[in-house]
Amino acid sequence: MDSLEIWAEKYRPRKLDDVINQRHVVERVKVFVKERNIPHMLYAGPPGSGKTTVALCISEELFGSAWRQSTLETNASDERGINVIRQKIKDFARTRAIGDVPFKIIVLDEADALTPEAQQALRRTMETFTRTARFILCCNYSSRVIEPIQSRCAVFRFRPLSGDDVRAYVMRIVQGEGLKITDKAIEAIIYFAQGDLRKAANLLQASAALSREIDESSIYEAASQARPEDVRLMLEKALSGHFQEAREILQDMLLRQGLMGEDLIREIHRQVYSLDLTDEEKVQLIDKIGEYDFRLTEGGNELIQLEALLAQFLLFSKAHKRR
Amino acid sequence: MSWVSRYRPRSFKEVLDQKEAIETLMAWYKNWKPGSKAMLLYGPPGCGKTVIVEALAQEEGLDLIEMNASDFRSAEAIEARIGRSMAQASIFQRPKLFLIDEVDGLAGEEDRGGVGAIIQIIKGSKHPIVLTANDPYNERLRTIRPYCQLVRMRRLGIRDVQRYLERIAELEGLSIDESVLKIIASRSQGDLRSAINDLEVLGRGSRIIRDEDLSSLGFRERQTDIFEALQAIFKTKSLMTAKLSLNEVDKDLEEVFWWIENNIAEEYEDPLEIAKAFDALSKADLFMSRVIFRQNWKLQAYAVDLMTGGVALAKREPYRKFTRYTYPSNIALLGRTKGERSEALKALGKLGSILHCSRRKVRAEFLPYLKIMAKRPDFKERLDAFMEASED
Repeated sequence: MDSLEIWAEKYRPRKLDDVINQRHVVERVKVFVKERNIPHMLYAGPPGSGKTTVALCISEELFGSAWRQSTLETNASDERGINVIRQKIKDFARTRAIGDVPFKIIVLDEADALTPEAQQALRRTMETFTRTARFILCCNYSSRVIEPIQSRCAVFRFRPLSGDDVRAYVMRIVQGEGLKITDKAIEAIIYFAQGDLRKAANLLQASAALSREIDESSIYEAASQARPEDVRLMLEKALSGHFQEAREILQDMLLRQGLMGEDLIREIHRQVYSLDLTDEEKVQLIDKIGEYDFRLTEGGNELIQLEALLAQFLLFSKAHKRR
Repeated sequence: MSWVSRYRPRSFKEVLDQKEAIETLMAWYKNWKPGSKAMLLYGPPGCGKTVIVEALAQEEGLDLIEMNASDFRSAEAIEARIGRSMAQASIFQRPKLFLIDEVDGLAGEEDRGGVGAIIQIIKGSKHPIVLTANDPYNERLRTIRPYCQLVRMRRLGIRDVQRYLERIAELEGLSIDESVLKIIASRSQGDLRSAINDLEVLGRGSRIIRDEDLSSLGFRERQTDIFEALQAIFKTKSLMTAKLSLNEVDKDLEEVFWWIENNIAEEYEDPLEIAKAFDALSKADLFMSRVIFRQNWKLQAYAVDLMTGGVALAKREPYRKFTRYTYPSNIALLGRTKGERSEALKALGKLGSILHCSRRKVRAEFLPYLKIMAKRPDFKERLDAFMEASED
């Protein structure tokens, strides 16, 4: 795996002391590790803020080189339903951990993707294996985790990382890889990453693939290449009155390519500024984008919500406006 | 020859289940003498009522005279057809057994004579008579019941049906997944006849039957319902008409939702109507997701009203045109790209295991950048090598 050299992984901190910021979490967690006893924990926070990293650091510091055998990593979005997850946990927690730590660690990512019912089932599983396993649940929004689980866990909120935090992390990679990079390029990474270290590392590595010396423009180039490319075309189709064609592009992106609705809607928002519309029309559309984005976060189906948004773009087609 | 007749059981041994009914039938036959009661076998369609009577005739060497009650609709017709032969004892011929199928189909208002005639025949017959019905407690059979011994036949189990289909598939040399047979069997709800008919429809077309073929089967069978519902929704301006249109549809709500979604822009032409209709669906979708997420079933009523009435009332006036409503494109697309997507998922899973995240996250957060990184030959080489190495 080291041979693949994906920097986001290569520069993932291996010790709690190396974790970027999140001091309030790390300080308390270090006490647990020192006492060789950890509670069930719930980590909530934005993507790329260090949740999985802290969980893996704990495991490595507790179990040393044997950490893999004593750690089960799973996530709610890959497994087919809670029963598969429970079976995995059961098989894993049946045997005792090797060494002097009396429990194994189960890291369940994207716990907020489970329905409340599935979470109830998970809660029972947590109780069943509480002697032999400790759970670390990770999620973006703790409000989507049912209270009975929250009350059984020590809840840690990971803060959005600052520009300086991102800079510190980028500098580690720059030094480790011996890169040539301008200050403005680092500023650009900070701007795009929005506190997400995984994104910062990926953007940096993609830019490095495009040019030997990394400046502002290579960052912008990589960032734009990484965006869903069909979004612009889709919006133009809708604005020229070709709703069904726009719908087809959307279905291809969401269903065949497997892109995520929230990424698409973010890109739609970004594209609005440069569309051939008056500013007043743009403001009206942004109002609609916000509304359908909200419906998505309320649990709406990605396809129907984005199609409904596309139908709003159709209202601004020239043919319609002439009516 | 249809498969239903080709694979019809010929003896008791081949009949699925129904052991009790067979024993009762045999005992009744052995003890029957003129003046005894007739036998009324009842049970759901396709559970084997006619089949066990045929098997009885076969095993006992009887001359079976089969009639379908709906063939003759009056007392005279029944008399003319069987009345005389029933009253004659046969000395030189094989013993006779009469079967009158589907007597509950006989007893309409105008058939009162028919019921009366059957009672007369039962009373005067020199030969045993078996009647079959789905529902013996049908009010119109009230007067016949006292002259009959009632025997209930049970609905067949799904697994029995499945095993029967397996045997047919084998004899026909079909290549068919167990999962497909299972679906046909459970769709049949214990009606072996309909299950065999379904299998025949699929098996006549091709020796190899896959999951996708199955969807075409269900689709054809239930097509009329959904098309009528769509027509009602798209052509009406009445909330009640639109809402009630779903009562006839035997598809689940989610599939109906996508049928409506797929045809909005086929029917409506004005962008404002399209936008309004999609907004109604968007809200219906929110209510459905709350139903699932909060297990709050009463919210489903709002979803139904919005997806029917909300869409119906999005238009100014109904369009006076014929629209060919089409199958939901999202469901079709998912079916078409199943293989491609599962390959992609496998690759994402491999990357996910070293990147400590789900396939969803690999795709959303790594893939766009990996594509750029792979523009460097050395990285691409490593990536290819990694994918190949973890192949096993």
